[in-house]
Amino acid sequence: MNIIMILYYVITAGLVLLLGWNFLRERKSANDLILGLLVLVPLVLRLLRVK
Amino acid sequence: MTLQIGAILLLMVAAYAVASFKKLSVELSILAAAVAGGLGGAFLKTPPIAELPRHLVEGMFPYLDVMLVFSTATIFMALVNESGGVNYVVRGAIRLFYNVRVVALLVLMIIILIPGALTGAGSVSLLVVGAPVALALKALGIPERKVAAILFIVAGLAAAAPPVNIWAMILCAGTAIPYVGFTYTLGIPVLILGTFTILWFGLKKEGGMDKAAALAALPPAPPGMNGWRVLMPFLVFFGLIIANRIWPFATPIFGLPLEFTAAALTAWLVSPKRLHVLKLARETMQRLLPLLATMIVVGMLQQIMTATGVRGMISYSVIIIPLVLLFISLAVIIPVSEGVLTYGAAAILGIPLIWFFDSIGLHATVAIAGLSILWPLGDGLPPTALIGRLSVMVSEYKGTYWSFLRQTWLPWLVITITGILMVVYSAKLAFLVRWSM
Amino acid sequence: MSAPEPEIMAHPARLKAVLAVLFAALTVAGGVPLFKHRHYGMTFVAGPGVTKVIKLSDYSPGLKGSFTDPDVFILEGAEPGGKALLMADTHANEPAGLLAVLIMIENTVVEKGTLYIIPTLNVSGSRNTKAGDGYPLYFDIPTDWGKVRFRMGTRDASPLESWPDPDVYIHYPEKQMLSYLDVRNTNRTWPGRPDGPPMERVTYAAMELMRKEKVDIAFDLHGAETMFPVTNCIVAPQKSAKIATLAAMTVKAMEGYDSHVEPSPQNFRGLSHREIGDYSDTLPFLLEAPIPFLDQPTGPKTVKLLLDGKDPFLLSLAGKKKLFVAYDEKGWPMDKRVGQHMSTTLEIIRQFSKKTPDKAIRLTGAPKYADLVRDGAGHYYRDPAKAAPDRIHYE
Repeated sequence: MNIIMILYYVITAGLVLLLGWNFLRERKSANDLILGLLVLVPLVLRLLRVK
Repeated sequence: MTLQIGAILLLMVAAYAVASFKKLSVELSILAAAVAGGLGGAFLKTPPIAELPRHLVEGMFPYLDVMLVFSTATIFMALVNESGGVNYVVRGAIRLFYNVRVVALLVLMIIILIPGALTGAGSVSLLVVGAPVALALKALGIPERKVAAILFIVAGLAAAAPPVNIWAMILCAGTAIPYVGFTYTLGIPVLILGTFTILWFGLKKEGGMDKAAALAALPPAPPGMNGWRVLMPFLVFFGLIIANRIWPFATPIFGLPLEFTAAALTAWLVSPKRLHVLKLARETMQRLLPLLATMIVVGMLQQIMTATGVRGMISYSVIIIPLVLLFISLAVIIPVSEGVLTYGAAAILGIPLIWFFDSIGLHATVAIAGLSILWPLGDGLPPTALIGRLSVMVSEYKGTYWSFLRQTWLPWLVITITGILMVVYSAKLAFLVRWSM
Repeated sequence: MSAPEPEIMAHPARLKAVLAVLFAALTVAGGVPLFKHRHYGMTFVAGPGVTKVIKLSDYSPGLKGSFTDPDVFILEGAEPGGKALLMADTHANEPAGLLAVLIMIENTVVEKGTLYIIPTLNVSGSRNTKAGDGYPLYFDIPTDWGKVRFRMGTRDASPLESWPDPDVYIHYPEKQMLSYLDVRNTNRTWPGRPDGPPMERVTYAAMELMRKEKVDIAFDLHGAETMFPVTNCIVAPQKSAKIATLAAMTVKAMEGYDSHVEPSPQNFRGLSHREIGDYSDTLPFLLEAPIPFLDQPTGPKTVKLLLDGKDPFLLSLAGKKKLFVAYDEKGWPMDKRVGQHMSTTLEIIRQFSKKTPDKAIRLTGAPKYADLVRDGAGHYYRDPAKAAPDRIHYE
C-alpha cells in the first residue's frame, strides 16, 4: 500500500470519528441518528478493507 | 415477468409515499422504498431473502468517493470562510467591478465554471467558490432567490463543461466511444448558456445599494488578512490538479479528497486568526449529513432496482418510445432520472439511448454532449436535488425550495431546447467534434 | 437539521444503543458475504498439458505479493513452435472467457509450440463486486461429478487495490483523457508502466511476458451486451486483420456461427487490441461473445439470466430490431458463448499456423463449438477431489 492510499484511510478514519462524535452528541433528532449510522456503514467497511 | 416487476415498482412507490406522508425525511423515504423493493423482490427470489442484507450494504458503496469529496471540500471551505478569506475576496470583487456590471457578472460566472469544469462536479464549484460568489452577487443588488438560481444553473453547466464531464465519461466508458472531441462541442454551448443565464438574472440591479453602502454592508475582513493568505490554499488545490494534467506521468494520483485536505491544511496554517478546526469539521459534517445520506440511500435504491429488474424495465420502457416522442420526452426523462438516481441515470438510460441513437445515424459524440447538458438540470429535482439544495444552502436563500426552483424556468427551458436540438441535429453539428480534435 | 422528535427521543441513550445494534447487525450481515467473496478461491486443476504455473509478477516485480498478481499457466509442447497468450477476466463480469480458458488448462495438450494462459488477468476485479448493479456473488456450472463454483467479478479492479481514482485518467503514454474509472479497467491501461497505477502494472507485466517470450499471437476474451454494436465479433488491428477475417469466414462455414471482424479504432487508446499491436510484435485479437446479462434493459440480474441469456425485454427489443445480434426464445446460453470463444481461438491459431508453418502451434484435447453446445462446459471440468494435490490451484 502506498503512502497516498494510507492517507485515504486516515481521511476516512477522520470522517468516521467526526460522524461518530456527532452521533454520540445528538439529543434531538432520531432522523439524524439513523442518517449518521447509514453514512458510517460503508466508511467502516472500507476501513476494515471488506469492500 | 413485467407484471411481477411492475408490482415491485408499485410497492417501492407506495413505501416512498407512505414514508413521506408520515413526515419522514426524503432520505428515510428512499430507504423505505429500497427496503420495500428488496422485500417484495424476495417473494420471487429476485434477490433471495438471504442475500438482501448484502445487497443493501453493497448498495451503500457507489458514491463513497463522492462522499469523501463532499466532506473534505466542505470542511476546506468552512475553514476559508472562518478565516475571513471569503469576506476579503468579496470586498475586493465589489471594489474592482461594482461599476462595470456586465464584466463583474461574467467574471463571477467564470469563477463558478472553473472548479466544476476541472473536476466534473458542480458541487465542487458551489463548495469551493459558491459562498463568496453568492455574497458578491448579493452585493451587486441581486436578490437571494435569483442568486440561488444563478448558482444552480451555472454550477450545473460547470459540471457539463470540458475538460471533465462525468456524464459524458460514463457514457463513453459504457459505449466504448473515445472521450475526445468534446472541447468545443460542450464548451461553446456551456459558455453561451452560462452568459445568457447570468445576464438574465443579474443585469437588472434590484437592491438600492451604491458601492460604498454595499461595501459597508459586507462583514469586515479580519486584521492581517491579505491576498496571499486567501490565495495560498486555492493555489495548493488547483496546483495539485493542474500538476497532474501537465505532468500526468510524473505526479502521483492524488484524487480530489486529498487535494481538498491539503488545501484545508494550508488554509488552517495561513489563517491570520486561530481556527477551531475540530469544532468546524464536526459542524460541517452535521450540516452535510442529509446530503451524504442521500448518496447512500440512492445507491441502495439503485442496487435493489437492478436486482429486482425494476431498473431494467424502466430502461426498456424508455427505449421503446417512438423516436419523435422520445426526443421530446428527453426534456422530462433525463432530468427526472438524474433527480432519482444522480450519475446512475447516465448508465441506466444513457448507455442504451446512445447505442440506439448511434444505430439510427445520429452522431454519438454530439448526442452525448447534448444529453450531458440536460442531466445537470436534474440535480435540482427531488428526491436527491443535490446541486439545488447546495445552491440554496450557500446562497442562504430562506424561501421554499419550490419558489427557488420556479425561478429557474427560463434558463431551464433554453438549456432543455438546446440539449434536445443538439441530439436531433447531432449529425449536422459533427464539425464541432472535428474542431475539438 | 430536522425538527426535534420529542417522544422517540425521550431516552436518547437507549435509542442510540438500539439503533447502533441494528446497524451493526446489518453491517455484519451484509459485510461478511462481501468479505467471503473477496477471499474465495476458485479451484483450477492443472491438466496433463500444463508444464508450469508461474506468477505474472515474474515478468515485472511491481505486482508481487498482491491481489493484483495473477497465475500464468504454461503449456509447452515437446516440439518448439509458435507461442500464444490467452487472457480471460480482463473484465471479470464477462465470464465466458474464463470458462473457456479453464477448459484449455484442464484438457489441452500442446504438441508443438507453447500456450501461456492467464485465467484472471484482473484478479482484483474478479474479487470485486459492482456496487449498485445487484449482481449475484457466485455462479455454479454443473458438471458430470457435481458443480464448479466461480466468483462473479466486475469490470474494474477493487478500490482496495487501487485507491484513489484520479479526477480524470490520462492514458500512458498517449495522454488521451479517459473516464476516472478507467484507471481500474485492465482494458484501458495497456501498454502500462512498471511503476504506474496497479492496473497499468498488470498490463505492463503482460506486455513484458509477450516481449520477453516473443509471443506471436495474443487473445483477450470478453463478453459484450447484445445492444452494443461491437458484439459477437473479433476485434483486430490492421496487422491481425487478415487472419481474423479468414478465421471468421471459416467458423461461419464450418461450424455454423457468426463472428464478424471489427477493425480496432486508431484513436481509442488503452485497449488490448490497439496497444499490444502497437507496442510489441505480437498479433492481438479481442474476442467478444454476447452476454445478455450485462444489457441494461433486462429483468432481475440472476444466475439464471447469466447462464441461459434468456430475457423477455431483450426478446421484445429484438422484435423491434434494437439488438445487434440475432436473438430468440433460446436466449444466448453460456455453453454457446464458451463454445464460440473456444472455436474462434482454435481457428485463429490454425490460420496463424498455416500462414507461418515454422511457428505453428499444434494442440489436442480442446473441445470445439459443437462439443460445448452438445455436452455443456461443465462436462470438461475435472473433479479436484480426484486430482493430485500439487495439480490444484486456487485463484
